[in-house]
Amino acid sequence: MAKAKDIVSLFVQFLKFGFFTFGGGWSIVAQMRRVYVVEKGCLSDEELLDLTSVGRSLPGIMIGNVAMLFGYRQAGVLGGIACVLGLTLPPMAVLSVITLFYTAFRDSKPVAAAMNGIRAAVIPIILSAALPLIKGNVNSAFGVVLVLLGFALYLFAGMNCVWIVLIGAVCGVLYRLYAVKRGDRR
Amino acid sequence: MMTLLRLFWSFAKIGFTSFGGLSMIPLINEEMIQNGWMTAAEVSDIVAIAEMTPGPLGINCATFAGIRAAGLAGAAAANIGVLMPTLTLTLLAAAFFHKFKNSQGMKAVMSGVRPACIGMIFALCVSMSLTNYTSDGALYLPYVLLGGADLFLLLKAKMSVPAVIGINALAGVLLFGGLLPPV
Repeated sequence: MAKAKDIVSLFVQFLKFGFFTFGGGWSIVAQMRRVYVVEKGCLSDEELLDLTSVGRSLPGIMIGNVAMLFGYRQAGVLGGIACVLGLTLPPMAVLSVITLFYTAFRDSKPVAAAMNGIRAAVIPIILSAALPLIKGNVNSAFGVVLVLLGFALYLFAGMNCVWIVLIGAVCGVLYRLYAVKRGDRR
Repeated sequence: MMTLLRLFWSFAKIGFTSFGGLSMIPLINEEMIQNGWMTAAEVSDIVAIAEMTPGPLGINCATFAGIRAAGLAGAAAANIGVLMPTLTLTLLAAAFFHKFKNSQGMKAVMSGVRPACIGMIFALCVSMSLTNYTSDGALYLPYVLLGGADLFLLLKAKMSVPAVIGINALAGVLLFGGLLPPV
């Protein structure tokens, strides 16, 4: 049973993350990497990528799923719920205020300008989370082929990410079986 | 009370049948118009606002529609609805994944999923670049330069994500908000 203190600290940390969710949740992954992989060292890059892949391939809100998977890993069911709640409350509060001033917000020039600036940061934020993941996960011809395959299927074929994750899973299993078989013959 | 249940149910349907982000828009559009909670124009506005403000699109739409239809209680009902897949399916998946993550089978599966997912992330960056760094259909140099500076701040200067977002908001107002003369 996880301590109440752990659950509270997960909630507080995700509450902080929640104010900076730009770019479809990827900024949260980048912040999680900074806090849990780099600073606290309680999560590896590989594990973060696993949480992200699994979270993406489930229905619903991707970053909510990632938060649930991470929270459960750290502190069980309550940990998962604490992370999801922490992540959800800030955008809910912000949007409640915006809804009240909907028209003013929609037509505000400075707001639009600030958002154009923020939009320029989204891809660098994603890359800051994704580039370190290449190390250790793409170290064979098999890995490189799958990266290119995932890239092409998503960008050029417009394939749904669930299918890409499944294709990756099948390729991983087949490759392992092939490697085992080849090993047996030697 | 009926409205709260209808909000919950509508957003639970949206949650379970979509896989995050923009794939939610057609469903949200349909549900909002059918229930008379938003007009088509409002849906496209809220998508723009949801993209501009922090928070996942699903949460932002649920909050907006919920408040419009039934105040704060409506927002809560809609948000719980859209989070239902996370609170049920993902919770099960978390338990399952936690139990089997060290098994040989799961290792084999993830050895294929990881690189495919990395490929997908890069593809996402390319497709997002087409909107984030262009203005009127052409590449817009100030956005590109700002993005390059951000990459440096994040990777080399190890600046935090919130700090970079703050800097970009400020840079956006100064550069594109008409406060400074156009370059």
